[in-house]
Amino acid sequence: MKNSWIIALREVKERIGSRSYVLFAIFGPLIILGLVYLLFVFGGTEAEKWNILVTDKAGILENKLMPHPDPNVTYSFANDYIEHDDFAKGKRYQQYDAMVEINEKVLSNKLSYVFYRTKPSFNLQAKVQYQVERRLEEVMIQRFTDLSVQKFREIKQPIQFSFRNVYDPYDQTSDVRTWVGFFFGMIILAFIALFGMTILRSVTSEKSNRIVEVLLASVRPQHLLFGKLTGVGISAFIQFFIWIAFIGLGLYLMREWMFPSIYDVSSMNMAELTDSGRILSVQEKLYAGKEFNTIVDLVYERVNFGVMLTFFVLFFIGGYLFYGSFFAAIGSTAGTENDGQQFILPVLLILALAAYAGYYTVANPESELAGWLHYIPFTSPVVVMVKLTYGYAAGEAYQIWLSLIVLLLSAFFCLSIASRLYKNGVLQFGHRLKLQHLFKWLRK
Amino acid sequence: MLSVEHISKSFFRKQALDDVSLEAKKGEIFGLLGPNGAGKTTLIRIINRIVEPDNGTVRINDALMTRKHLENIGYMPEERGLYKSMTVEDHAVFLGRLRGLSKHDVTAKLNYWLDKFEIGDWKKKRIEELSKGMAQKVQFICTVLHEPELLILDEPYSGFDPINMELIKSELIRMRNQGKTVVLSTHNMKSVEEVCDRVALIHHSKKLLEGRVADIQEERKEGLYAIRFRGNMIAFANALWAGFEVVDTENPSDNLFIVRVKMRGENTFDDLLKVLIGQVKIEAAWEVLPTMQDIFISIVQPKLTEAV
Repeated sequence: MKNSWIIALREVKERIGSRSYVLFAIFGPLIILGLVYLLFVFGGTEAEKWNILVTDKAGILENKLMPHPDPNVTYSFANDYIEHDDFAKGKRYQQYDAMVEINEKVLSNKLSYVFYRTKPSFNLQAKVQYQVERRLEEVMIQRFTDLSVQKFREIKQPIQFSFRNVYDPYDQTSDVRTWVGFFFGMIILAFIALFGMTILRSVTSEKSNRIVEVLLASVRPQHLLFGKLTGVGISAFIQFFIWIAFIGLGLYLMREWMFPSIYDVSSMNMAELTDSGRILSVQEKLYAGKEFNTIVDLVYERVNFGVMLTFFVLFFIGGYLFYGSFFAAIGSTAGTENDGQQFILPVLLILALAAYAGYYTVANPESELAGWLHYIPFTSPVVVMVKLTYGYAAGEAYQIWLSLIVLLLSAFFCLSIASRLYKNGVLQFGHRLKLQHLFKWLRK
Repeated sequence: MLSVEHISKSFFRKQALDDVSLEAKKGEIFGLLGPNGAGKTTLIRIINRIVEPDNGTVRINDALMTRKHLENIGYMPEERGLYKSMTVEDHAVFLGRLRGLSKHDVTAKLNYWLDKFEIGDWKKKRIEELSKGMAQKVQFICTVLHEPELLILDEPYSGFDPINMELIKSELIRMRNQGKTVVLSTHNMKSVEEVCDRVALIHHSKKLLEGRVADIQEERKEGLYAIRFRGNMIAFANALWAGFEVVDTENPSDNLFIVRVKMRGENTFDDLLKVLIGQVKIEAAWEVLPTMQDIFISIVQPKLTEAV
């Protein structure tokens, strides 16, 4: 086993020293972070920055709308009446994207026009409406009642009907979250495909440059194979941890610097803050602080990264060993590199099917097929990740362990077959690989 | 030192080795000869435990060979490779550690060999930066780095330029003189004569011949003698009488001849010299022994002919 370790260390050193590995370690997380950033920016919050002119001739709003500036909307006030035609053409108004007209009778006629230059998104329309409405509400409370704003809103609060799944009363699972599981599963498959191909290339290149014969004079074929799988696996893990560190750091920095308003109480609507305990109406949900960005909420709040990462690692190891044995077996038995690539296609196809199995499980989590896919070693790494996000009932936790055991047993079975093929095939050169070769080498 | 006993091996339906036995003694260079496909490489792989024999045993110093013995064997296969992206030093450390050396030991020994081959500057170079000849030297160094008692080289001269070939030859002889055993498989018959003490010839998976090179040549000599002289060819021919037969003649330059002569009847080399002295100016005279090339072809050719 000492020699396996030496082989593994060489593999690690070679992989880590390669330019493609370093580029992948740097750009992989950056691409993921870029996608997350885009989701943060476009996934719930407004991309637009709107400059709005509020015309309030009567000074009803007292030139204020929000206690703190909104990151997306800037309000300016004009205590005058401006014709919409002037607003459209007047040079001095070109800096404004929209004009909110607060007529003098707004408190009674409850009518306000918003003139825009380009149509805002639904969310931005809702946000502007919400902010103006809230401000007018405050004015009306002050003018027409003796109640405090807080008390008024307590009274005004409608009864909220919340429909919940009796088996998941706290709505711990959601469609959005299952996509995180799917994403984790896809990362497993991507790493398996990527590092599986690394195993294939490593084996075939050792065959083609004939160093394998020198190695076999010192190392048992099984130990050589094990060392190679271990080495490539370790380099995959190092890559993975680099990703985790980069992405974790990136998410932290995004939260602290790029999107501080997400959790910065000062940027929230004050009224919302005072009523933080209450259930929001549907309209309010569109822009209230806590529902401001479902993606942000998902990433920072709703994913149990501890559990996900633990099982990610376990199923990655199982999946990697399981699929890795196929890559190694094909690499060692192929006569030429072209042969190897041809025979690797079915394995890549199976990986694609595994990805589809994950998608299927997202869509049909309770189906019988998803139940089977959960235990089939070809698909279990991704399906289990999806199911994890749905959660396992208290009595069903054994299922995840059972799936893991099936996967690991299958991996060891495939490894024993792969090492047999490796032993007999790795010194065969230049032949055209046929299935009968595999059967012959398996029998030997 | 190395004893191969009744080794048989077949791949599917093809017999690669059929009851082959041979012995390489301590402190000798043993040549493994045979045409392509004879089974030499299979035998070498069996000795290195890369391939398992169907029958037979391999012994090292009279003990059944185990994997532990591999640490004392240096093996350079015919088609040998190196990891192109590794440096010479890293490569040596990697292979040395697989053979049981510590990193420190490898470095010390590597320095010794690099200095010896006057290639100390290459230590930090990547293999892909080396020329083919340079890489071959590195391969040889990696093979002998752990100072094995038994060195097995499959076609060690293939691809080597004449200078490197001489370098390797002299190293093999030096190792032999240090009491190490060298088994080499080669097609280079000249080198067999130059460095091998004993040889075995394998053909069609069977061992056909084994023995000391000198003995084999002695056994197969045809009673031919060569005379190199200056003078007149007619005078030479007249001097010979019915007891000698001229087999062939070379005329490398004016008045210089090399003639191969076969004895007839009871005539001896002394008789030949007696009749020639005074007739021509003899510069040299020697008994012509068959070359290993001739012996190799004489054994293999009929078989090949039969096969056709």
